Amino acid sequence: MSGLVPSAMRQPAGWIVLAGALALAVLMLPFAGLLFATPWLQLHLQAGDGAAIAVSVGYTLVALLIVVVFGTPLAWWLARHAFRGKLLVDALVLLPLLAPPLTMGLMLSMVFGPYGWAGEPLRRLGLELTNTPAAFVLAQVYGAAPYFVVTARAAFEGVPQELEHMALTLGRGPWAVFRRVTLPLSALGLASGLALAWVRAMGEFGIVLIVAYFPQGIPVKLWTNLQDSGLDATYPLLWLFFVVALPLPLALGLASRRQPVY
Amino acid sequence: MRLHYRLQHPLALDVDLELDGFTVLYGQSGSGKTSLLKAVAGLLPALGTPWAAWPAQRRPIGYLPQGCALFPHLRVWQNVAFALDGTRARRRARALQLLDNLDLAALAERWPGEISGGQQQRVALARALAREPQLLLLDEPTSALDQITREEVMGDLIDGIRRSGVPALATSHDLHLASIADSIALLHGGRVIQQGSPAQVIHRPVSAAAARLLGMHNILEATVLANPHGQAELDCQGWRLHAAAALPAGSRTGVAIPAEAVRLADSGPGQPMIVTRLREEGFFTRTWLRGEHLPSLEALLPRTSAATVGQPCWPTVAMAHVHLFALDANPAPA
Repeated sequence: MSGLVPSAMRQPAGWIVLAGALALAVLMLPFAGLLFATPWLQLHLQAGDGAAIAVSVGYTLVALLIVVVFGTPLAWWLARHAFRGKLLVDALVLLPLLAPPLTMGLMLSMVFGPYGWAGEPLRRLGLELTNTPAAFVLAQVYGAAPYFVVTARAAFEGVPQELEHMALTLGRGPWAVFRRVTLPLSALGLASGLALAWVRAMGEFGIVLIVAYFPQGIPVKLWTNLQDSGLDATYPLLWLFFVVALPLPLALGLASRRQPVY
Repeated sequence: MRLHYRLQHPLALDVDLELDGFTVLYGQSGSGKTSLLKAVAGLLPALGTPWAAWPAQRRPIGYLPQGCALFPHLRVWQNVAFALDGTRARRRARALQLLDNLDLAALAERWPGEISGGQQQRVALARALAREPQLLLLDEPTSALDQITREEVMGDLIDGIRRSGVPALATSHDLHLASIADSIALLHGGRVIQQGSPAQVIHRPVSAAAARLLGMHNILEATVLANPHGQAELDCQGWRLHAAAALPAGSRTGVAIPAEAVRLADSGPGQPMIVTRLREEGFFTRTWLRGEHLPSLEALLPRTSAATVGQPCWPTVAMAHVHLFALDANPAPA
């Protein structure tokens, strides 16, 4: 049967393989460097490294939950509704993405800091948003949400609206239509958005540094290890970072690709 | 069942229809047929009866859009079971029964992308029937089908609909589909200008617009010269014709003649017409005719009897193919 398949689909051309391999090699260079630079026989964790892992994983999961709960309706609204001023809303969603993380942190501390216009009343209500777990999650939400919203919106836009209309005419309410048609058909894109948001939140440094130096997650702890004990002190935590950060995006990618071919 | 719907967007429509068995809403592309179906299905805002005040999910309607819109992430039986409630086993059993009614049970485990366009259409019908609707809406059901399989697929689809006993409204600009329906409604200028059985509508257009919509290319005006024995002798702008109608002498009438009905004779009374242009169309030659002080005509002739450009000829039409309609401000032909 292979004779019936166009040759371009059977085997990629040699130059494509070469260019692809080259790109992969360049991307992998720093990691290859890390692999060789790591003193594998003298690896030992610094005090607080374990706590940093727990902080990063635990609070990133909380941040991710918040991003999904609030980001999904926003993404769906932007994908499915035309309204006056939509371009402005688009720009507002992109702003946190465009702002350098450090400046994003500064803006957050202006608003949510102890003397900020939102921070002060919230503090009186018992919600401190500087150097607390809540501040850590807040920083991660601001860092990760735009990535999820932009990706999820594209995923929703990729679902033919005709199928949603069809489901309505088959007697299903809007929520059932979303759950049974929109969600499964946008799963691949939503999983990508979720993976991106996770990676972004786990690795968030700039915003966290300003807003929540404590509790220390992995990126800030890497920074303090480097400052306090030198480069060698960063290697174990860095490798552990990869170990804990990689499984979720990999699993999401695998799960969404295991869907039927249509 | 009577259907009366008015909508403003995306175009103004005021459609009043009697639904009788398999009804075809026949109109040109862009005349608003799809918009009307969407409005009835609750997918476009509209006023009307029945159901206009209900949300789409509560309307007792089975909707088959163009391209079927089967859910690509669900197997064939899961598509059919989409509207059903109950346990998985019960939903599956009912879906298989519905598929079996349309001879589709063998496809139950397939994905929509793995079956043909005609099969997809029947699966969409099974899915629509699962809700036990009071009305089926079919948007251009022949548009995705090729010429060769169209008649067979539509025959199967219409048989399935007739067996289900549910009235159906199909939009189309396919005269063949319209001719096998129980009723045709002609949509023009945002409203239904004529409705009736195919025999009534196709052979008795009520206006020039209806005749044009039905593909009649020769639309003329005529004066009745005499009317002996219920057979009108007509003067069509200088061309003499006979029609089976009882019209008073001196009255004016509209005349519609299909291009297929025009024949050319080598001799005849009065002035000849001249062949001005020819176009090959498969087994036929479309032939344009003009004459001095005579109307322009279009004829679709078998290629074997084709004329040549510049040739003089005398066009004739059998009485049965001369369709009369009332001109505005004139009495209607009997």
